This record gives sequence, structure tokens and C-alpha cells, in this order.
Amino acid sequence: MSAKVLIPPPYRGPTQGEAQLMVDADTVLACLQAVEQKFPGFLPQVLDATGAVHRFVKLFLNGDLLDPKRLDRAIAAGDELEIVAAIAGG
Amino acid sequence: MEGDKLVHVDMSAMSVRTEPLPKEWELLGGRGLSAKIMLRECKNPKCSPLGPENVLVLAPGVLAGTSAPTSGRISVGCKSPLTNGIKEANAGGNPGQDMNKLGIRAIVVHGQPKDMSRLYGLECDEKGVRIVPADHLALKWNYATCEELAKKYSKNASFISIGPAGEKMLRGASVATTDQDNRYPARHAARGGPGAIMGSKRIKFVAVERGKARVREPARRSDFNELSKKYTRAYLDGPQMFKTGTSSVVPVANMLNTFPYKNRTSGQSPDAATLDGARIVESFPKRGGGMHNCLTGCIVRCSNMVHDAQGKYKTSALEFETLTLLGSNCAVGSWEDVADMDRLCDEVGLDTIETGAAIAVLMDAGRLQWGDAATMKKLIGEVGTGNELATVIGNGCAEAGRHTNHPRVPVCKGQAIPAWDPRPLKATGVTYATSPMGADHTAGLIVNPGMPADQYAQASQEIQLINAVCDSSGFCQFVQPTLDDIRQYYSHFVGRDVSREEIADQGWQVLQDEWEFNRRAGFTAADDVLPACMKEDPIGPAKVVFDVPAGIIADAKVRKPARDNLFSTKAAG
Repeated sequence: MSAKVLIPPPYRGPTQGEAQLMVDADTVLACLQAVEQKFPGFLPQVLDATGAVHRFVKLFLNGDLLDPKRLDRAIAAGDELEIVAAIAGG
Repeated sequence: MEGDKLVHVDMSAMSVRTEPLPKEWELLGGRGLSAKIMLRECKNPKCSPLGPENVLVLAPGVLAGTSAPTSGRISVGCKSPLTNGIKEANAGGNPGQDMNKLGIRAIVVHGQPKDMSRLYGLECDEKGVRIVPADHLALKWNYATCEELAKKYSKNASFISIGPAGEKMLRGASVATTDQDNRYPARHAARGGPGAIMGSKRIKFVAVERGKARVREPARRSDFNELSKKYTRAYLDGPQMFKTGTSSVVPVANMLNTFPYKNRTSGQSPDAATLDGARIVESFPKRGGGMHNCLTGCIVRCSNMVHDAQGKYKTSALEFETLTLLGSNCAVGSWEDVADMDRLCDEVGLDTIETGAAIAVLMDAGRLQWGDAATMKKLIGEVGTGNELATVIGNGCAEAGRHTNHPRVPVCKGQAIPAWDPRPLKATGVTYATSPMGADHTAGLIVNPGMPADQYAQASQEIQLINAVCDSSGFCQFVQPTLDDIRQYYSHFVGRDVSREEIADQGWQVLQDEWEFNRRAGFTAADDVLPACMKEDPIGPAKVVFDVPAGIIADAKVRKPARDNLFSTKAAG
């Protein structure tokens, strides 16, 4: 299924500035892996060494907060996966 | 609003007078108002910052004292003793909204007492502002000072104070404000040494008694309240990324090679796990403490109340920048040691960023051992006593560099670079170089390592403009208002529509006023540079340096046509 992945500014190093990408994938995890395939170095910013979503990252699917344990959630055509990371701080 | 005033305190004549807020300044507060006042009242911007010609401004944001969420912040303005340019440092706590509820849009302090050995306080209430003696508080730490003040003033009073660092006019000195809950002096207008200027005016404290003064009513009350409800709901329904404090940013920053280690010789720390804010949150169930809001009406609640192993209150708020500059940057690996130092800095009244950066230079120069938290605590605690090394630390990073003749001194315009490193974050580096404030991430933070170079200038300009408006409004940057949000609030507050053009012009004018002050103070384009160590010492696996051409840096100060992005980008600092 073709889905859009929205990359937050802090994570656009590996994507060379690309803010959004269209990927073909069936699940949330597959979306993330598809981005990694195109832009190596992206996935470790989202998932830790165990494959779990980093504590400081939130994923939104079509505007709804995704349970971080549900990376197997199915993707429908036209879905939008947004990655949000806590950045800023005094 | 009708009756709003500026209160001028003349410490040479020991007199107070009020001036109605000029009508054309109706939508100015905080940083924007401070800039206007500095241009008007500091007749000689080349003056010595610690002398009588400098001016100290305490200015709440426009919306402070209204029911807008997280809108009560206060700006402290002056000519900085650290940068020698204009300075605005911003803090939470309650004094800002209390001042505005009394109709005091700014306190402007002029001159200096003849007898510089004396100390004074300012009392603000519904009757006015008075100068009172305060010699009995000489060299008291901030918490003890506020405990004494709490005995004299009502339980609703809020306080602004300086510690020994400010009294001794050390260039890294902060101005403390008290928080909502316990009136701890844990909020600090810290960057650039405003505490030294308050000390140079011999003012130890300001006590604000709001009495029966009420929440400030907007002209379009129901529209304003409706907007506040909608805005609050949207924020609470969103990701609320600062629910556990800015200290939660440590692992992200480390991952992005902007968690400086050992005087910025590396962008990652081996101690990121033990400095991670998650460890602080983990301590809450056993030790107590928790998250709270520092000012009445805040919906972000990013401030942590940190307790020690015995369950006693230790400090608040232990933030990302402090964990970085006093922790990682000095090779200190324990968040608990950093908590101790955070408390000590709050007590003596010092900027934790400047202090950590200064100590790291001393360590890098071999004067102190890396990671020696015990000595760090001892020295911070001795600031204000005359101890030579403590005095160097209190005077900041550039002073530490001069004292040791060390080549790696990461400052811009004399002010220490914060945690957000300009080498992987080059657009932020453009902000550091061009901001009137010197190296100040709250002037305009851009965390976008993949940004193409041809976008740096516009991105930096836009976020500087947005943050200038935010810092004038009273909103905390962490509630992340956009220019569209702020102009809607302003429209309902004053009862006329504020256009996109007007709000953008306001933000640009704040920057213009500040750059103009700096020009009069002797700054030129040659000062819009980063230090050699940021241009020469590579960092991270990609070995990046700050290599942004001078032309791109200069372009950030040439006004760009406003695009939609300008109005929809959230404040970031």
C-alpha cells in the first residue's frame, strides 16, 4: 500500500532534508523500514536496538496516536504516518 | 488596558515615578517592550554595563495576568555585562502575572545609589512601588532570602531576587523568580548576567503583592475565553512532549551529536543514560517530587520537583541544558550531582549554562579534573565569597578562557554556547551568530540537521522573529504558540483585529530595535561570527564543523517576504 511518512526536522539528517516520503508498505514497521532502505541511518532514530520505539518518539497514524507496541498495524492506501520527537529544551 | 503604567525607579535620587504606558506600546510587553525602553532610556549604549547609565527593565509579557494558558512569563532586560550588547532573559514563576494584574507593564530602574555598600528592595502593591532597605539580606542565598520575605509579605506575594553572585556583580549572575507552589526561587532569568545589573542597582529583591487585583479582562471576553479553551484542548490532546520535562530530551540530543561532552570535544556522552531525565522520573515513586507548573495557569507542567534519596526536596527544575552543561560537558555522569549543582546555582544566583561552560574550560585547561563534581559544588557554593576560582566561574566562560589562556572557549559575543551545538545544527549556528542576544538557543532554535544551506538564513530569521513575538507575549515557548495563535489572542485582548502583517512587523521591529541598540553599543557585522573552535574542531561521525559562509549569515538579517510558514511555525527554544 502506498503511504506517506512525515519526517520531523530533527530526523532529516539521514533523509538529506526530505520532509515527507511516499513508501510502499503493508505495516507501520514496514513503512519505517522502507524509509531506512532509501535513507540508511534513519531507522535507529526511531527504534532502539531491541526494535522498540524510542521513549522520546511518538507515532501518529492518520492523526491518531499509535500504540508503540503496534508496529504491526496494517497500512491502508493513502495513510499518513507522522513521527514526532521531543526537541527543544532549556 | 486603561491605567497600565511604566514605573521608573531612580536609584540615584531614590525616587519613584509612574508614566502611563504609551498608547503605541499597547501590544508590547516582555522582550519587545524591554527593547523599546532600552533604546529610549539607556542614553549611552556604549556605557559600562555595571555603571549608573545602564537600565534594568522588568517587563511581563502582554498577556501575563490574563486567563490565556501558560502566558505569565516575565522578561528582564538590560545591557549585558557578558555580551556588552542588549539582553533579554526570560523566566516563569508568578511575579510577571502579578505585576500585570497591578497594571505595572514594566519597572524601569535607573542610576545607582551613592553608597554602593547598601542594599534595597522594591515593594509593589495596589498603592504603588516603594524603595525599602534590605541590608539585612546581604549575601543571603536566594532560598533563605525568599523565606525571609515570606515572613514579611502575604502568602500571595511573589518575589524576584538575586543571590551573592548578583550582589557581587558577577557577569554570569541570574535573576530569580518564585514559582507558584512553594515560592521557591527556582525560576531564573539567567542568560547574559542580568543579575549583575540588578546588583549594580543595589536591588536585592522585588516583592509583588497583587492584593485583590484580578485577572486581566480582555475586550472580547467570550472570544478570548473560547480561544483559550480551544487552544488548551488542542494542546492537551496533542503529544505533550514536555510532560516529563526537558530533561527527557537528553537521549535525542545525544543521538544527534548535540549533547556536548568535555568542553564540546565530543557531541555524545558515555553518561547519557545516567543523565537522562527518565532517571529523574523513575525517582518519583520512591522519593516523592513530580511534575508541576512553575506559574499559575500553565498547562505544560514541564518543571520537575526533584527530591533526594531521603525524600527531601532538592531542586526544581532540573532541565536539559543544565544536565548538559554542568553534567556531560564537565564529564559529570550523575544526574544527582547535577541536581545538587542546579540547587547551588539557584541559591547563589548563577546561569547554569554559563557556569557549566566556564567550569568545562577550566577542566579542559587542566585547572580542574574532569568529572570532579565535589570540587564543582564547593566552588559554586563559594561564589560571592571572594574565592578566586569561584569568581572566575561566576564571571563566565569567556573569563575562564582569559584566566587560563585556553584556546577552546565556546562563546558568541561573549556568551557561552548552549547545549544545542552549531556544528550539526548549522541553522541554529546562524541564529547564534546573528541574534542580538549572542549564543542563545531561546532566540531561535532549529533542530534540522538535514536542512540545505540555502535555507539557513530564512529559517533562522523566521524563528528569531517568531520567538521575539513569543517572548513579548508572555507565552512560554514550550506551549509553542504560532504567530497566528498570538495575533488571535491579541485581537481578542485589545478588541481589534491584528493582521498577519502587523504581527510580523512587530516581531521584525523587536529585532531591529535590538540590533540598533547593539549598533549604538559599537557592534558591527564583524561580530556576527562563531568562535574558532566551532569552525575548526569537528564533531560526530560525519566530522562536521560550522562552515556556514559569511554571506549566508549576513543574509539572515535581511528581511525576507513573509510566507505562510512564518505564521504557522511554532515558537522553539
